[in-house]
Amino acid sequence: MQLNESTYETFFLLYIDNELSPKERLEVEAFIADNPSYALEMEALKATILSAENIPYAFKENLKQQAQETSLDELEGDLEEDWDATYATILKEDVQAIPGLSTSFKNTLKKETVSEGILIKPFSFNQHKFTYAAIAACLMVFVGYQQLTKYQLSDSPVSNSSAFNSIAANSNKVLVPNVSTESTGSDATVISISNKQQLASNFEPISKTKQARIKLRASKSSNRRSSFKFQDEAIAIAEPTRSNGILNNQAIVTKFPSTYNNPLTIDAIPLSINSSNVDAESTIEEIAATSYEVIDIEDPNRTIFIANFEIDGNKFRGLKRKVTSLFKNNKSDRNK
Amino acid sequence: MTDKEYNDCVDNFADGVYRFIVKNIRHTEDAQDIVQSAFEKLWVNRVQVLPEKAKSYLFTVAYHQMIDHIRKSNKMPLSEDTFIPHQPINQEQAELKQLLMRAVNQLNPTQKSLVLLKDYEGYSYQEIAEIMNLSDSQVKVYLHRARLILKNKLSAYAPTAS
Repeated sequence: MQLNESTYETFFLLYIDNELSPKERLEVEAFIADNPSYALEMEALKATILSAENIPYAFKENLKQQAQETSLDELEGDLEEDWDATYATILKEDVQAIPGLSTSFKNTLKKETVSEGILIKPFSFNQHKFTYAAIAACLMVFVGYQQLTKYQLSDSPVSNSSAFNSIAANSNKVLVPNVSTESTGSDATVISISNKQQLASNFEPISKTKQARIKLRASKSSNRRSSFKFQDEAIAIAEPTRSNGILNNQAIVTKFPSTYNNPLTIDAIPLSINSSNVDAESTIEEIAATSYEVIDIEDPNRTIFIANFEIDGNKFRGLKRKVTSLFKNNKSDRNK
Repeated sequence: MTDKEYNDCVDNFADGVYRFIVKNIRHTEDAQDIVQSAFEKLWVNRVQVLPEKAKSYLFTVAYHQMIDHIRKSNKMPLSEDTFIPHQPINQEQAELKQLLMRAVNQLNPTQKSLVLLKDYEGYSYQEIAEIMNLSDSQVKVYLHRARLILKNKLSAYAPTAS
């Protein structure tokens, strides 16, 4: 930008603010010399500059005192270092000069020093390590929960594959329609041991490989959801025995299809007590009608209940807080 | 920054920071508090602050604390429109100085801080820009506007004073 009559004001302001190079300052001064009318303008602008004014701050010593008090610890550290140096000098000069002292004794007086080679870096639990630890902890909790859930499911009589296999393996002895020895007055069929061999020949068992992948879902026939457990007594339908001429182990099977189709629904009344000591008729009166549904999980259109995933909020609150604070800390570090 | 360097900063810059603040807010106790806070912050962060940057750091901290103080206390200066020349003053030097200060006090806080930092502390445009978190061109424009406002006020007052 050239200095002229239209730009002089900017140059004058830069001049009084001392923002011009020496060459430009000379140009401004030459311009004023050539145009004396602008001298007043320059003087008016110079008048706007505040003159130096001394306003002392009365509490400087208070500000300094803060530093002196806080630096006491550092002074103590310096004194300790000085003492170490003095002690080493005394050992080197004076003690060595004492006659009669053995070299081994003199060495024991030397202050123990740690060589740099064996200095161990203190362990610092930084953010990265904490992140890895937190992730590992979460994974362990998740895997542990999965394993626990799996274990519980496998223990459950309803979904126990071995229990089911027992039923399925024995079902060819029992779960056969249209063969009855006693009627309960309903559409249920009571299957007894006397028909065991005959029934087995009429029933098409579920294949073993398919059995292993089948889960039972039980619900009461009253349509109320319940936590029915397929207990050993119920499994005992496959192991009927006779006592006093009465069939003790028996099951009431209703609406059992003649052929196996997925899903296979079995409406049955399990024996909920040990049948070996109980009369069959009284047992039948006490038990409730229960329906079982066999689900083939290989069916692509199936509905599977894996698990009810429940988390105890109190137990996980601390972990959640730590993870939250971890991400906050990482965010603040990134901001820094 | 060592303790000695910090104490040197107290000796060298406390007056300037205090003058800058007290001229802005025109309240001695509040200005003292702000100065104390600025030095306290410098002490806390003395490890990170280089000695050659201490002055700029102090003014930056003090400036921002002053802005916060002004916002909190609503002690905003009068606007330019309310500037009314008072009675003519006979003692020329003192009167012109007083008149100039009165005119400076009529500037808005940004312009006022710019003038004070430039005239009292001799900061460059770039340094002022760093302290006040502005660009160099903003500093230049705002400061030039402030100068022209002061010049106009002084020239408007000068015939009456003479």
